[in-house]
Parts: sequence; structure tokens; C-alpha cells
Amino acid sequence: MVEFTVPEIDYTRYTNRQLAAIPLAVLVVALLIIAGWYVMTGSPVNQGIAFTGGTEVQVAIDGPQSEAEQQIRSAFSAEPESIRSVPAQSVYVVTFQSEPGSESVGATELERQADDAGLDVRSISTVSASFGGDTQTLALGGLAVAFLGMSVLVFAMFRVFVPSIAVVISAFSDIMIPLALMNVLGIELSLGTVAALLMLIGYSVDSDILLNNHILRRSGDFYESTYRAMRTGVTMTLTSIVAMVVMTITATLFGIQLLAAIGTVLVFGLATDLMNTYMLNLSLLRWYKFEGVNR
Amino acid sequence: MIDIRDNWRVALLVVFLLISAFALFSPTLAADDGGEGGNVAGGSNVTNLQYGLELSGGTRVRAPLVGVTAEGVDFGGDDTRTVEQNVAAELENASPADVIARSGGQPEQQSTAQPQSEPSNTVEVTAEGVTTDDLAAGLDAAGYAYEADGLREGVTETTRQEVVRILQNKINEAGLSGGTVQQVTTAQGDNYVLVEVPNQDASSVRDIVSERGTVVIEAYYPTENGSDYARDVVLQQDDFQSIGTAQEGDGGGAYVPVTVSESVAPEFQTAMQDTGLAQSGGTRCTYQADASSTEACLLLVVNGEVTNAFGMSPGLADSMRSGEWAGNPVFQLQTTNVSEAQEVSINLRAGALPAQLDFSQDSGGTTSYISPTQGADFRVNSLLTGIIAVLAVSGTVFARYRDVRVAAPMIVTALSEVIILLGFAAGIGYPLDLSVIAGFIAVIGTGVDDLIIIADEVMAEGQIDSRRVFQSRFRKAFWVIGAAAATTIIAMSPLAILSLGDLQGFAIFTILGVLVGVLITRPAYGDILRALTTVDR
Repeated sequence: MVEFTVPEIDYTRYTNRQLAAIPLAVLVVALLIIAGWYVMTGSPVNQGIAFTGGTEVQVAIDGPQSEAEQQIRSAFSAEPESIRSVPAQSVYVVTFQSEPGSESVGATELERQADDAGLDVRSISTVSASFGGDTQTLALGGLAVAFLGMSVLVFAMFRVFVPSIAVVISAFSDIMIPLALMNVLGIELSLGTVAALLMLIGYSVDSDILLNNHILRRSGDFYESTYRAMRTGVTMTLTSIVAMVVMTITATLFGIQLLAAIGTVLVFGLATDLMNTYMLNLSLLRWYKFEGVNR
Repeated sequence: MIDIRDNWRVALLVVFLLISAFALFSPTLAADDGGEGGNVAGGSNVTNLQYGLELSGGTRVRAPLVGVTAEGVDFGGDDTRTVEQNVAAELENASPADVIARSGGQPEQQSTAQPQSEPSNTVEVTAEGVTTDDLAAGLDAAGYAYEADGLREGVTETTRQEVVRILQNKINEAGLSGGTVQQVTTAQGDNYVLVEVPNQDASSVRDIVSERGTVVIEAYYPTENGSDYARDVVLQQDDFQSIGTAQEGDGGGAYVPVTVSESVAPEFQTAMQDTGLAQSGGTRCTYQADASSTEACLLLVVNGEVTNAFGMSPGLADSMRSGEWAGNPVFQLQTTNVSEAQEVSINLRAGALPAQLDFSQDSGGTTSYISPTQGADFRVNSLLTGIIAVLAVSGTVFARYRDVRVAAPMIVTALSEVIILLGFAAGIGYPLDLSVIAGFIAVIGTGVDDLIIIADEVMAEGQIDSRRVFQSRFRKAFWVIGAAAATTIIAMSPLAILSLGDLQGFAIFTILGVLVGVLITRPAYGDILRALTTVDR
């Protein structure tokens, strides 16, 4: 059986600047990607049909993939935006984006066309553009309120500026880096990924609070406290990463998109959290503990 | 020797687990209609869990109602029928049946919920293609003043409630068990009607929702020889200009006001005179009690079945005999109570909605259909995914601690949180959807994190030799857990409160799970760990 122990890192070898530079650089790159996306596409992230409006049809077709795709294209009068296949099942996910201005085909019409073509329809869902817009406002609003609420609570709990802002910056970065990765890897913002981003707020704060608590509230040497917090915190995050990797793989095989999307984003976010907590947050705390307090 | 006082946290956890198991498996709590997922796939009826559409298959349609409304309209003393006719006459593509005038000042209207939302007279036009500008022009042309800011898209609360009631009736009549209709309001204040029907595809739901039944009014009267009765159709559905909502009468009963089109009113009046319904002193109808000995009746026949029977009041009979009635062709169908009157009103409409659901693309509606096979697949596969994820967590925890006494209770505790949540869902009949399952995953995730914090804290620096040491370490661990739980709850609460969105189930169950975890299961884990790590030393 594999065994893992959390290695003890000799933090004294690195300066605060060195420690903070890497996570900050990654954050800047992430923000640049998101800003670039906004300039190029008019939206900071790729949005799925839940937000832009459109129709998603899942059909089950036996046979080779190219043939199945041909069959799908000929069945529908509208041109599909994308056709994806679900591994382990002969199910294809076909999406139709609703173009503003153009006459798009509704769910009932698509269902009829699929039935006429003899396709086995597994599911159909249509979201109209204006409803998608409302969902977008709701999701972004929810995310913003959640982040603000978390920040206020963190400041109320620690009541000192530097450790609190360290937690808030880490959490911000934990959300932004996965968002940028989603853009790069072509993952669309869906209800599932929004759920995952919300979960990340909780996970991110977990390990940050643990670290702050050990360093600020316990007696003992800084590096010793850090190591103890790390041993617990890294175990926590790694356990979650393992669970999410496994969940992503199974859910992808089974074609449960919602769970797969949640899993993927959480894996990105948790990995980011490891870096942010033990480099960015830690360097800020060390600066605060050794230099900031005396000022 | 186990002391209950020492282990009350564990005892509490066991009690909660037993309650949940009862809620999950007890046949006494089973849903009456077999549950939404009841007849989809075999083997799903072992538990009392209700499955949402994503996990059972079915159709969900969310659409706004077609219509525009003017509020604060001054009727200038005209009754609602006249207003409807005058406004319809000024509108190109609306007939009087498409125009609904409501006078909000009438005391009867206040019995329909939310009196404050309709303080004034309103005029609604529920025909397609009529804009607020058209309505404004129509009102101007007809000479009715209205509030400048009272023009809006959408219909009134009363109309929406009627639509919901009628749709629910239609779905029940179609024999679709588990189908629900409700009104939802978005965060932006838009109103939608949400229809969910298990096991039906999108087109059949659309058919049910837009289907109209046939309704006729027949005269039922004794023939010349006196022994037989004859039945004649005297009014078709199209002959009604308007069918009012159920209203409470002054004398305790209730009634539905109806208006007959002016073109057919004289004919109807003659028929009433000929059939003897409009005889001097009116008629008393006892059709429901004994159809072979009653005086003449008006029968309401829906899809070929007699649903209601009415006699005629002396006053109405007199005005029909004198021929005055056709000039103002209004009568009231009297019933003994309001719910019966509502029934009559719905029957008269025979499924015709006062306002149609708007299925056009830019309406803001959504449709989704999940096939029963897909639902069943998702149900099994998401369960498998969950189990595999838990196994992965177990593997990691064992690898880290290399001690079954620490790791095994951890897994058991994390799982018991899910069991308590499942029991809760079964107990209140909350339908499980993928978003709720995502919530379970979030709960297991934060749960295991917290248990790792407790384990590390409690076992730090070697042995625990006294209960005091244990208590103080446990309390320290709990500060972190409590703080993390509070942030998660704050982060999720906006989504849990907002009434729309598929993420509501996710947020609600994550918050519940965190609460159950912090208050019940995670403290119990501390006790279990203490028992296992201190007793044998």
C-alpha cells in the first residue's frame, strides 16, 4: 500500500519576495488571460448554453462515431454548434447555440426532427437567451455576494489586516486561476462550474484559516507551527484532489456532465489553493509575524 | 462500560441515524402516488426518496404568460364587460375574449391573494402580438385614462393564479401522476409558470398544456308529454364573451358571472323561453339528485359529461321573458360555495387559459426533457460515482494515517452525514436532482477535511493521557472547523435564498450538510476517536 507523508519544507531558504513572486505571477497571467478573453470575445469566460441560451440534445446512436455524427447532422434542420460523444456509452451531446436575431429551432421542433430521423432522444433542454441572461446575473451576483460575505467574515474573525487580506487574496486567486484555465482548456461556464467555484471559496478558506490559526493563535516557533498546519492542510487538500480526480474520470465516462464539470474545476482550484496557501499566504504571514508586528 | 454522559455526542449521532433510516425506509412514510420516479425503473422503490426530473425522466417547461397589462385604468363608470368590448374594438388582433378587465376595488377580488398587488383597475390583453404601445393606443382610442407608468409586459397576479390552477387541473385530468404546476418569480422580478411532468416528452406536455376541451351548455327540460326529458345544446364555448372568476355572493353562496355574446343572446333567450326554463317564477333544478323528476335545468357538459346543473332564478326568468335580457346578456351561475364556483369556472373554460404560455424563443422560457432511461442511468451512475469517490477518499486517508482506528471512523462519520441528509430529503419529500448530489459531494469533501483537522489536532504530540487535554485540543480544532463552516454557509446562502435556478438544491444541501456536520457528526467523531485512542493506554 502506498504511504504518503507531508514533506517538511525548509522555508528559511526562501525570502518572502521569492515565495510570493510565483503565485502572484501566476495570478497576473490568469488575470491577463481573462482580460484578453474579455477584449476578444466580449465575455471574460466561455459561457455554456445555460447562460447564453440555446438547446442541448442528447441522443443515443450505436455505430462508429463519424457515421453517427453524419446521422446527427442530417437529422436536424439547424446546424449544431458542437457534437460531443460520451465515452463508455454511445451517447452524443449536440448543442445548438441560439444566435441573437436569427430564428432558432425550439425544443419541440428538434424533438420531432430527432424522432423522425429515428434517433433515440435521451434528453433535450432549451434555455432562451433572455433567461440565460438572467441566470448569468444570478450566478455572478451569487458569486460576488458569496465572496464579499466570506471576506467580511474573515476580517471579523481575525481582526488584523494582513492575515485577513492574505486569506482574501488567496481565495480570489483560487477562483481566478481556474477561470483562466477553463478558458484555455475550452471548458464552458455552466451551472456546475459555478457551483464548483462557490465550493472553492469554502475549500480555499478552510486551509487558509487553518494556517492562520496555527501561526497566530498558538504558541511555538513559526516554522514548527507552519509544519503542523501544513501536515493537516496538505492532507486535506490532497484527499479532496484525489476524490475529485476520481469523480471527474468516472463522471466523464458515465456522461454526467454536471459532476464532471464540478470535479475538473475543483481539481484546478485545489491545486491552485496548495500553491497560494503555502507560498502566498505563508509569505504574507511570515512578513507580518517577523516585520509587520513591530511596526 | 460505556457511559452515556461521556458519549452523548455519539448517542446523538446514532439517534439521528435511526431517524434518517426510518425516514428513508419506513413504508409508513412512503409517498402516496408512488413518487415521481416510482414507475420508471425497477428497484427504485426500496427507499422513500423522491427523484427530480433529472434522475427520473420527464419534462420541465418554464415559460412566461403572453400578455400586456395596463394598471390604474379609469373605467369611467362602465362595467368590466363594456370596457372589454370597447378596448377590444380598438385593437386589431384581439377579440373581446382576449381582453380581461378587472376592477380591483370590488371587495370580492380581495379574497384572491395579494390585495396590495392589484389596488387599481386593470386591463389585460392576452392575445399574441399586442404590445404595450398597442394597448396604450387602444385605451386612448376607447377613452379610458390610465396611469402612465402602469403599462407593462405580463399579466396580473389573479390571471397567473388562474392559469396555474387550470393547468394543474388539466394535468390531473390527463392522469399524469406527480405532475406539478407552480408560479416562480426570478430575482429580477419576472414571473414564470413552471410545469413539471414526469415520464412525458416535451411535445406531449406542450399538447396537454395547450389543448382545449369541448364545453357546451345544454337545456334539459321535460317534453310535451311530461314523462321524458329532452336535451338541446343552447350555448357553445365560443358563444361566451367572457367567463368570470368565482366570486363570493352576498348571501353566503358563490357565483361565476358569465357574459353571452350579443350576437347569440337573442337566440339563447328564445331557447330559454321555449324550453320552459324561463318560466314565470324560474325553475328549481334537482338534476344531480334525481334527473327524472326535476324541473328544467341548464346543464354544463364538459367533454360529453354533465359536470354541473343549474336552475333559473325568478328575476332572470322574468327579464328573459320580457326580452330585456338580450340587451345586457349577463347571468350568474350560482353555487353553494367558492370552491364549487371555481370548479364551474374552470369547467366552463374547459382548459382554455385566460393567457397562453409563451413558448417563443426570446420569451425567457426554458424546456427540458430527460428520457426515463437517461434518468435511470444518471441515478445509478451518480450513485456509483459517489461510491467510487468515497473509496478514493478512504484510500487516501488510510495511506496517510496507516491506522484503521483513525481512518475507519472517519469514513463512517462522513458517510453518516450523507445518510442523515438523504433521510432529511426523504422525510420532507425534497426531490433529488443532480445539483443535490453535487451538494452531497461538497459535504463529504468539507466533512473529511474537518475530520482530518480533528484527528491531527487531537493526536498531536503523542499520547492523550487525560480527558482535559483531549477536551482542550478538541476545542482548538473546533475553532477552525466552526470558522470554515461559517464561511461556507455565508458563501452558499445567496443561492439558497434566491428562488430560481438549478443551484438552489446544491446550496440548500451544502448548508444543511455543513450544519449537520458541525453540530452532530463531527463532534461525535471526536468522541469516537477519544474512545479508540485513550482507553487502551
